[in-house]
Parts: sequence; C-alpha cells; structure tokens
Amino acid sequence: MYYQLINFGDEEFYAYPNKSLYWKRLNTLIVSDLHIGKSISYAKNKQFLPPYDTKEILNELFVSLDEIKPSNLIIVGDLLHDIFSTLSLKDQDHKNISQYMENTDFIWIKGNHDKNIQIEGFKNFTIYEIDKFLFTHIPIETPLFQICGHYHPKVKIVHRGKTIFKTSFVHNEKIFILPSFGILTGGLDINSKEISDVLGKKNLNIYPVGQDKVYKL
Amino acid sequence: MNINKSNPLLLHPLNKWMKKKKWSWFPHQIETFHHVRTGSDVVVFAPTGAGKTLTGFINPIDDLIKLKKFEGLHTLYISPLKSLANDIVRNLEKPIKELDLNISFQVRTGDITPYKKQKQKQKPPNIIITTPESLALLNSYENAKEFFHNLKYIIIDEIHTFLDNKRADLLSLNIERLQTFSPNLQRIGLSATLKNKQDAKKWLCRKKPKIISYENSVLPKIKILETKERIPWSGHMATYSINEIYKEIMKSKLTIIFVNTRAQAEYMFKNLWLINKKKLKIAVHHGSLEKNLRLKVENNLSKGLVDCVVATSSLELGLDYGDVEKIIQVGAPKGINRLLQRVGRSNHNLNTPSKAILVPTNRFEFIEAKAAIEEIKKNNLDQIDLKEGSFDVVAQHIFATACAGQFDINDLYKEIIKAYPYKKLKLNDFKQLINLIQDGGYVLKNYDQFKRIFQLRENKNIYKLVNRRETRKYRMNVGTIIENPMLKIKLGTKTLGNIEEVFIQNLSQGDSFIFAGQVLEFQSMKNNLVQVKRSKSLISKIPSYSGGRMPLSTNLANSVRVLLAKSNMGDLYPDQITEWLKRQKNISKIPKKDEYLVEQFPRKKIFYTVIYTFAGWHANQTLGFLLLRGFKEFNYKPLGFVANDYAIVLWSLKEVKEIKKILNIGLLDKHLDNYLEETSIVKRLFRDNAIISCLIERRLPGMEKTGKQVLFSSDLIYTVLKKNEPDHILLKSSYEDAKKNMINYDRLREILKKIDKKIILKKLTSISPLAVPIILEINRENLSKKETDEYILEDLENEILKEANVLSIN
Repeated sequence: MYYQLINFGDEEFYAYPNKSLYWKRLNTLIVSDLHIGKSISYAKNKQFLPPYDTKEILNELFVSLDEIKPSNLIIVGDLLHDIFSTLSLKDQDHKNISQYMENTDFIWIKGNHDKNIQIEGFKNFTIYEIDKFLFTHIPIETPLFQICGHYHPKVKIVHRGKTIFKTSFVHNEKIFILPSFGILTGGLDINSKEISDVLGKKNLNIYPVGQDKVYKL
Repeated sequence: MNINKSNPLLLHPLNKWMKKKKWSWFPHQIETFHHVRTGSDVVVFAPTGAGKTLTGFINPIDDLIKLKKFEGLHTLYISPLKSLANDIVRNLEKPIKELDLNISFQVRTGDITPYKKQKQKQKPPNIIITTPESLALLNSYENAKEFFHNLKYIIIDEIHTFLDNKRADLLSLNIERLQTFSPNLQRIGLSATLKNKQDAKKWLCRKKPKIISYENSVLPKIKILETKERIPWSGHMATYSINEIYKEIMKSKLTIIFVNTRAQAEYMFKNLWLINKKKLKIAVHHGSLEKNLRLKVENNLSKGLVDCVVATSSLELGLDYGDVEKIIQVGAPKGINRLLQRVGRSNHNLNTPSKAILVPTNRFEFIEAKAAIEEIKKNNLDQIDLKEGSFDVVAQHIFATACAGQFDINDLYKEIIKAYPYKKLKLNDFKQLINLIQDGGYVLKNYDQFKRIFQLRENKNIYKLVNRRETRKYRMNVGTIIENPMLKIKLGTKTLGNIEEVFIQNLSQGDSFIFAGQVLEFQSMKNNLVQVKRSKSLISKIPSYSGGRMPLSTNLANSVRVLLAKSNMGDLYPDQITEWLKRQKNISKIPKKDEYLVEQFPRKKIFYTVIYTFAGWHANQTLGFLLLRGFKEFNYKPLGFVANDYAIVLWSLKEVKEIKKILNIGLLDKHLDNYLEETSIVKRLFRDNAIISCLIERRLPGMEKTGKQVLFSSDLIYTVLKKNEPDHILLKSSYEDAKKNMINYDRLREILKKIDKKIILKKLTSISPLAVPIILEINRENLSKKETDEYILEDLENEILKEANVLSIN
C-alpha cells in the first residue's frame, strides 16, 4: 500500500489510503471513528441501510493488521456507533478479534458514541499517553502533542472550476485529527467552525485521501 | 348517432349559463357527455380554448344536480401542477356561483393549511381538485375507504404529462386503489392533442374505453423574432434581443415569456426591468419561488393586472388566461408538443390563431426554431412513449397501503397489476418489494427486531405497520419527484423561495446573486436557511438549477438535421446565420444528413473532441459515458464530457489520436455491460430509488441531515450493497430505470452500427463555430466523480510541486 509520510511532533507517521495511520518507530497502528454497527442503529429508526458495514470495516482493519503486524492498535474513539451496534458483531467476528489480540494490544480510547460500552479483550482508556504524545477522542488542554478523531474531517478543494470534497488527515503544530475509518460515516468540512475552533484556520497540513493514495496539499 | 340532431346537453344544468355567455357546446363535449353517461371511461383530446376543463365536469355536475344535496366526495380532479389546480377552482367557481348550484368544491394540494386539510377530511366537499401526490396521501389515511367509497368520477387533466414518468406510475396505482374503494368509479382523461392517442386510452380506460377527439384546423402563427442585433454563437440568455422583446411586450395587451430554465427566468426578468422605461408591470414565475409569490403572480395574471409574466414550465399547462395575447418563447423549443402547449396559452379563442414569437438564444437554436415551425405546419407531433412501471414506486405504494391499515398481500398484488404500467410485474419482484419495506429486504437478516411492517401470526398473508409513528415518515417522503438539495432563502423574516445547495456552496459571504427578481447579498447559512439582504451590486450570479432538463424530441432533432443539410441556406436564414454556417463550412464542415462530423482541437492544455450525432440528449449521454470508457482504455486521461441534444464533447489531458478505433459498434459490445456497473448515472438513479422506496429519508424535521449527506450516504449504500448483495431488488430497480430512461439503447445501436463509415474527422487548431455552444456547457457532467477527483488531486499536487520548485530555484 502507498503511504504518505507525515511529520508531526518530530516523529514520522505513515498515512494510508484506508484512513489508518502508522507510527513505525513504535510499531503502532492508529485508527479512529469506525462507527461499527451504524447500520443497526439506523435500523432501529426504520432506516434499513445494508447491514454489511461491520463486516467491511473489520475486513479492512484485518487487512491492515495482517500487513503491518503492529504491536499496538490504538483506536482513538467511536469504535462502536451505539449500544445496539454490538448486535452486529457476530461470534465469528469476536473470534477473529481475539485471534488478532494474541499479537497486537488493542487499546480502545472511548469516544462520545461508545463511552459506556464494553467488549471483551479490549483495554479501555479515556486518554492514553506515549512519550510526548497524547491519544484522545476529542482534544483537551495539554502541552503534549495530541492525536485524535471525532470530527471526520474532509477538505473542500476548488480546482479548475470544480468543487470536490475529500476525506482528509489534518494537523496543525500540536493537534492531529484522523479521518473516520468507518464506511457509512459522513464528514465535516475542515473550514467548519467546529474544526477551526480546535485547529485554527492557518498553517494546517491537509492530506486528502484518494482511492489508492494519500495526497498532500 | 347523429349528435347534432339531438343534443342532450341542451337539458344540462350548465346550458343556461352557456346561453347567457352566448357560447355553444363543442361536439366533443356532447360526445363526452353521451359516452360517460352510458358508462364509458374516456380520454378527450382537444386543443386549449375548446372548453377542456368544462368538458371534464359536464357529467359530474349533471350527476350531482340529479342526486340533489349529495353528501361527501363525488368527483376527484387530478391536475399535474399546483398552480393549475388553483386555476381550475377559479374556472369552476364561475358557472357554479352564477347558477347558484348546490355543489361544493375545494382544492387540496401541499399549498393549503393543515387546518383546512383536516376540515376537508372530516367534511369533504363534492369535488376535490388535487395533485397525484396529494391523492397518494389521501389514500394512505386510515379512513381512505370511507372517504372515497362514493366516488363517481376521477378526471385526469393533461393526461399526456402523465404517461412517461414515475409520477404516472404513482398515479396509476392510486387510481386502481380508488377503483377498489368505489368499483363504479368512471375515469375521464383530458389531453392536448397527442400522436399516439391509443396509448393514452390503454393507460387510463377500463370500462368500454373510448377516444374522443377534436382537432383544431386553425394553425398558430409562429415566427422567429426579426432582429437587427447580432445573434450570439452560444449562450442561453438572449441578452441581444432584450430591447426587441420589450417592444413586443409593449405591442400586446398581455404577454407570457416562456423560458426553459429558472436561471433564464431570473435573468430575463432582471434585464427587462433594467430597460423598463414605460414602467410596464412585469412579473416572474417559477417553481422555486415561495408559494405566496407564485399565487400573487397567478392572480394578477388572471385579472389582467400585469403586462408581462416571465415564466418557466410552471405556467405551461392548461391555465386559462383569456387575455394573454402573445407568447414569446425564449430559447430552444425542444419539442413540437411542448411548443404547441406553450403557444396554446395565448388567445384562447379557437377561431383565431394563437400568436407566438420564438427568440433563439444562439445560432444553433435559430435552426431548431426554424425546424419546429416547419414541423408545426405539417402537424407532425412528437410521440410520447408509455413507460413500464418502476419498482421503487410500488415500494412506496406498499408503505402507503400499510399506513392506511393492515392489508392482504395477494389482494394488493392483484390490484397493482390492474394498473397499466404494472401489468407485467412479477409476483416474486412484488414480494421482494414487500421485504424491502419490511426491513430493507437484505439476505443478511440483521434487522428482525426492527421491522417496519410485520406478518400477522394467524395469517401470514396479512401485513401490518409496526407503529403509527411510521405514517409520519411515509407522509414526509411521498412522491416521485426528487429535487436536488435545496435551501430556503430568507430576506429578513420573509421566505423568498428555495435555492440549490450546490449554488450556495460556491458563494462567499458578500457575494450577490439574483433571485425572485431581486439582487441579493449572501450573508450566512445556518440550519438550511440562507440569510440574505438586498444589494445594489451590479455584478451578480444567477442560481443554476440542474433539475428539470428538457431533452430535445427525436422528431425535432431529425428535422434540425435535415434543415441544416439543406444547401439553399441563403433563402432559409437571415444573413448572420448564413454567415455563421459558411464560416463553419470553411473552417470545418457542415454535416450532411447522414454524416457524423467529429472535430478535435486543443484549448488551454486540454484536448477536446466534439461529435455531432443529432441523437438527442439521452442517447448522447450514454454515448458520452461509453466514449469516456473507451478514452480511458486508450489512456487519453479523459476528464469528463457534456452531452446536449446535438453533440457530445469530451475533454482529456492527452490528445485523442484514434477516435475511429473507439467510436464504432464495438464500443457498445465492449463497454455497455460495465457501463451500467460503474457510471454515476446508476448511482444517481439508485439515490432516487432509495428515496422513492423510502429506504432512506428525505429531510425530516429534527433530523437535520443536509441534502449533501443524503447524496453522500446513498453513494456508500450503493457501493456496499453492490459488493455484498448484487441481486438486491433496489439495484435491479435502478438498472431497470437506467435502461428505460437513460440509455436509449436501440437508437444508439442504430447509430453506432453505421457511424464508422460515416465519420468525417476534422482536426482543427481551435474551436469551430458549431462547437461553441456545447463547449460552454462543460462543467456539468462527468463519468465517475471518483476518477475525475483523482485526476484533479493529482493535477493540483503536480502544480503545487511545480510552484514549489520554481520558488526554490528563484
């Protein structure tokens, strides 16, 4: 898989087109906002989306784990969409997850969607620190470098008279926001008030995710 | 039967009124009265001005008077437009009030208040005038059966507009429902003249079907605006002609200017005001305007309080404004039927010809206008093809049925296949549609506990809605018209109307644009409301509305081709058109009527290939998609294409060197299968299907999804579904729609079979006169957004890298 090299907090990270981030020095894979089981949660409101999102998300995750074989997997929040989402995890899914847990530590930082949900084998955290890096779902006040999720950033690109929106990795000097790893999840414009309040408007490094490649703007 | 000798209408309650007005009955009115009275379902074809509205009401009024103080709903009148419904009420009011007849009638559309609707449901009038969507809603209420059980007549006005679209499917299903409620119901269709009258009869009539036709021998007087100005090569705004149009308005008492798009309406309106020295009363009317603004214009029009109204197709149908003296059609006529319909708005006196002036906005349109006039002289109308019913509409109908109460699926199936569009609906497909409404109909049974409808334990054929809350969702999602995401425009606290979200996205704060005839400044967007203030800016944008495209009829397209190939052009056109064609002849070529001209030229680092097929928009659209695939295969890096009625233009990063190797019958064989799989057209249709079948919701209050997100997630649903469950009924439905509506496969095959032997290839150094109009339409369509996006990103990145290098060298 092609990756885009991103320097953040004097460390090198690899951004993959499947929206995962890899920290090679510590052999750690980072993903965010999987929103597993979103389809089930919609179904309770009688919106019957295809019930294949969980399967697709897990498959994509397993492909990455197979390829990279990380020592740690850090999920920076919203692994699950809500309490109903656990219904979409079948026995086989649990078996597969346990198998990957044999070689990889699953570190689950709780997000606003899944803070009260437990799954066997996952280590739960609200924040997680490694060196000068803090992993959290939503950024907090801290002198550390932060790696987070929550916002599902996408960037608006106007070029040759066309406007397109692209899911993106984005960071400023101190805060890095991952795109959503989920498949039925929407996105929020990087210029929106919510994201600007966190990252500011200037000196942003934006990495739009293409089909097979992560670009750099 | 000799009708003239014994006119039964002389004893009709309305005869007194007719006599007072010094009007006499038309032969088709006498015939209709007779046939309906003797139990026939009828379709009446008559030109405007031949008392069509009255014709529909002859039997209902007679019956109601005979029944004396009939309580409840007796007759339902279905109109294709809300504005038309209001006009029908105005027309019906006159005889009923003047004769003091004891008949009650009311309009019921989305425009009336919930309070009035509620009252109507409790105490229905004798006659309700409504739209197909409102009828569907009425049928979804629990008391629908009692409400309609005494219904005697259903009148479908302008039935020719209901034959070839999903609205027709919806209407046909609801008519069958009414027939179930009230087995004696009789159907009366009213239509403008149609080429294939038998088809309309098949669609509507069941009992002793009868066609009643009245042809008008007075041909309309149509001419092209004689202008001293220069007609532009391209564009759609007719700016050149504005002064001459103004003079034409001054000459007539009341003029309607018809344009083809809402943007044109705004533009024309603004420009007329700029030169309105005589202070003429000019108004604008289009479907995006707020209801109150529209109603005000309609009222002023019927009272003759305006001098001119600039309108889109929103004023095209049936309106009976006797004082309209002149029609000005700005822009291409697009079809013979459409032009006749519009021209028929003027001078509703049958014995004097309607008067119309055509204003082509560019030179290509001049030729089309000329061709249209020729065809009208020959009375060569366009054919309207019936369509087979779409699956998604059935799904919506199933949901509606469940909202009205528990139902037996076998009864429902039997009722549905009585509707003409669904004669061939297979039981198995129907059952899948039941499942679709039940829980999405997926193979993976994940949603058992969340079903929307469920089978009764004691009788597996009976289905029932899980809870009444779902009825609200149905009601928010009713209908088959999917508009692009729209946002409400607010000037202070006043709502002006709706505007496309895409348009607003491209605006920055402080930008000004024209809407409802005013220059407005964009201030902010919050919660789907666009706040604006008045602006004095001279530079302003015009909102674009991508919906409501009018394709050129095949009939007219052929006529244009023949006309263009005629060699005596000096006699046919004014000098400037002749000059333009001569220039085309010198630089490139004018294709003969069986030749296919292909032009290629570079422009700003991009390579353009223009193919003149004259195949109409649908076929060109498909051909464009196929060619994109072909170009990709040859690694020309295509960026996109635009089709119009005459031609296709494709643009690519690399020069297309082997067009003849791509443009041939092999293109169909090689790419058509994949074409459906990959193009955004099926995705777009899937979105419509998902919304119409109520799989995903339109915007609901409290669930502030922006329209963009609906589009976004329907794309994802499509992708996920195709990967995991390619046989899902909604995918099948989308493909069927694509085949029916978009591809025009047979026509394309005919063209491609012979095209390679008839290609005339012209390599040019720059754009040709004929190509100018289509080149300017670029930026509207593309193959797969995904792929183009990749090219754009790649390109942008390269540019940025280059800039970076330059900077570091300097």
